[in-house]
Amino acid sequence: MIDPTLLARVVKGDQQAFSQLYDHSNTLLFTLAVRILGNHEEAAELLQDVYLEVWRKVSRYDVGRGTPVAWLVTLTKSRAIDRLRARASRGYRTTNSLEAGTAAQMADPGPSPFETQADQELRISVGAAVAGLPQAQQQAIELAYYEGLSHAEIAERLNQPLGTVKTRIKLGMSKLRDGLQQWWNLGDLQ
Amino acid sequence: MTHEELEESVPLYAAGALDRIERQALEAHLLSGCASCHSALKDYQSVAALLPLGLSPTKPPRSLKATIMAGRNPASIPAEAATNEPARPSLEPGEWMNHLFPPVAPARSLSLPWALGLATLLIVSVGGYFAWNVSTQRSIDTSNIKQLEASLQEKSAKLAGVDREVGDQAKALAELRNELQQRTNEAAEAKEQLAQREAELEETRVQLSQRGSARTVETPQDELATLLRIPNVKAVTLTGSEMAKRAAGFLLYDSRTQKAWLYSVNLPECPAGTTYQLWAIHDKPMSIGTFQMDTGETAHLLVKKVLSFTNAKTFAVSLEPSGGRPQPTGPMYLLSRS
Repeated sequence: MIDPTLLARVVKGDQQAFSQLYDHSNTLLFTLAVRILGNHEEAAELLQDVYLEVWRKVSRYDVGRGTPVAWLVTLTKSRAIDRLRARASRGYRTTNSLEAGTAAQMADPGPSPFETQADQELRISVGAAVAGLPQAQQQAIELAYYEGLSHAEIAERLNQPLGTVKTRIKLGMSKLRDGLQQWWNLGDLQ
Repeated sequence: MTHEELEESVPLYAAGALDRIERQALEAHLLSGCASCHSALKDYQSVAALLPLGLSPTKPPRSLKATIMAGRNPASIPAEAATNEPARPSLEPGEWMNHLFPPVAPARSLSLPWALGLATLLIVSVGGYFAWNVSTQRSIDTSNIKQLEASLQEKSAKLAGVDREVGDQAKALAELRNELQQRTNEAAEAKEQLAQREAELEETRVQLSQRGSARTVETPQDELATLLRIPNVKAVTLTGSEMAKRAAGFLLYDSRTQKAWLYSVNLPECPAGTTYQLWAIHDKPMSIGTFQMDTGETAHLLVKKVLSFTNAKTFAVSLEPSGGRPQPTGPMYLLSRS
């Protein structure tokens, strides 16, 4: 999806490379931010912060630790959840997460101009893998992943035993790993 | 916790479902070097990173890119800017695979006042950071502008100095040119004057030579005086004979000009029909010239052109009939001593 050499160029302060990095990642990161924050405006604000941080800290990126996309996704998720918690601590109620749809539930708006065929296949595979999970497992994973809830908090939210929630998450993650392992085993997960 | 329990918590960790204590326990275990847990985590982290791809894509507003591109400080190189970040968020990019710290959840495990306190601190520190960032940037910009202004001013001053110097030098050059012109004129004038003087000198020389020759004729005394200063002029003294004991004479002969001067004193007045005659005697007497002594005259100068008497050693003056005689006939009045 993103060539690691593109980040190497951004490290050197290459504006054009940064622009390309944005073009290749903005939809995915914005989608993630909207999913977590439930708000386009706030997601756009978050992306400004994230890209600024990427521009400033890109020299810390180490290709041996993960793909550029994994790095960007992890950073965006981390910052979005920080923001979500800051908002919750100020007394705001999150109303978005469960209402937001997944790929399986919503129409695909079509490929991005920067998306390769391999990107599309991967996206479809992930969507299918997630959609293929039992609803309970998918829900438990999404509450942890997109809302930053711990298993205890999820159990409380769903009014389910803690062990059940843990098992759902473990099983769901295990299935996703089995379904998607081919992508990183092939070594072309970028 | 046992290894099995820890290993089972790996997928929950990757999904972000562990609480703080469980998370720290697993991290400690991973740092201790458990290869199987590390490998498992790597797989689950990869799954976790892919999850957003399963969402229905939502495109950000088109203006976002321009805002982000403009929001960066183009002057700051990413590597440098990274060192100036005071407020460190919970998860550093690039570190996720190494230490695997998902976002911490302090607000969940702390009481509300603590949470509020932390939130306030966060707001203050973030605000402070941005204020610091803006003010630092502004002060850097201001100091940069000041430096540029100072540099510009300095350059302008230098330029003005150079201008002045060039002006001065041009002025000095013009002065030198004027002076040179003046000197050239003076030299030309001096040359002209010199030519004039030379002409005058030439004229004077001509006049002098003319005057000199005229004087020789008009004033033999001057010539005699000149003769006295010439070393090869022969000088002979003559003394009076019995006929004129008080008489004396002084003869000069210049072989160069073949002229003879006889200066005689106290010779008696010539009786009428007689004349004194000067003789140069070598083997035989040779007449040099005649002269008269008038009444009251005591001294007389005779100047004569003589062809040759270089060998003559004796000179004499005799009294002869008027017009002189080829050989002495009368009495001797003056005779040289040699």
